[in-house]
Amino acid sequence: MVDRNFEMELDRLFADHPAFADADLFALRVETNLERGWTFRRFLIGGLGLAGGLVGAAQLLGSGLGPRLNALAAHYAPNIEVNWTDVAFSHVLPGGLEVNGEILWMSAALAAVAVGFALTRAIREI
Amino acid sequence: MVETAYAARHDLELVALAVAGGRPAFGELVRRHGSAVRALLRRMGAEPHLADDLAQDAFLAAFEQITEFRGEGTFQAWVKRIAVRAYVKRWRRDAHEELMADTPELASAGADPAAVIDLDEALRSLSDPERVCVTLCYGAGMSHSEAALALNAPLGTVKSHVKRGIDKLRLRLAPSGRMESRVNG
Repeated sequence: MVDRNFEMELDRLFADHPAFADADLFALRVETNLERGWTFRRFLIGGLGLAGGLVGAAQLLGSGLGPRLNALAAHYAPNIEVNWTDVAFSHVLPGGLEVNGEILWMSAALAAVAVGFALTRAIREI
Repeated sequence: MVETAYAARHDLELVALAVAGGRPAFGELVRRHGSAVRALLRRMGAEPHLADDLAQDAFLAAFEQITEFRGEGTFQAWVKRIAVRAYVKRWRRDAHEELMADTPELASAGADPAAVIDLDEALRSLSDPERVCVTLCYGAGMSHSEAALALNAPLGTVKSHVKRGIDKLRLRLAPSGRMESRVNG
């Protein structure tokens, strides 16, 4: 039969623990590791967002969206001659700058970066 | 100044801040309860450096799982359970599993009834399974069933280790009714 009083005393003895002199240092180590983990996670999520954005942009461009839009426009409004690529860029880009594939890619890449950062930020906030 | 602000807050408030991603608030919880977790692991038999590593891992895991803390017990008890489970897992992995079998009664050799000793020293007189079982039940607040589950050992085995451990501790700690708490730093 276990002595109840002794059990209570044992509980008290276990609850009474030493205060380590390096308690603050220990806490700092844990905080540093937490911070490091979150920084790594942010970069990982950002990187994955960037890669995903790039793949998405590549798929979008590779699917021939521009020509399809042009074809659709020609089908539904045959009297209006519109080149969607011109529409998309003529009002945005400064005059004289040639619209070509490189600019399109750069824009897509920048958009992907922006999505990556936005995703990172959103996840951090959540 | 920020740390001072956190120091005045209750554990549950700090947990709520940590749930929202507040790492400084969680840091205050580590400052408050780090020593208790480290001491418990040492009392279970972990070497100081291992105890510190496991305690650190336990706090990191606690931060990851902070939303699972429902406030039913204390935060310290919750982290202690995470830590002791990690230690038990390691302890069993390090070929101590066979020790969980019922061990024959050991004579409390070297016990000087006249000597008043502290808990840490008294725990050292226990066999490994006894020390682990007693610490799980009294240090981490587990029931015998929970300890058996954590150790993956039969309930009866755990009970008998706890009983034998307590008998030895009683002999060492209160040889003549002079039990006193003298915890070493």
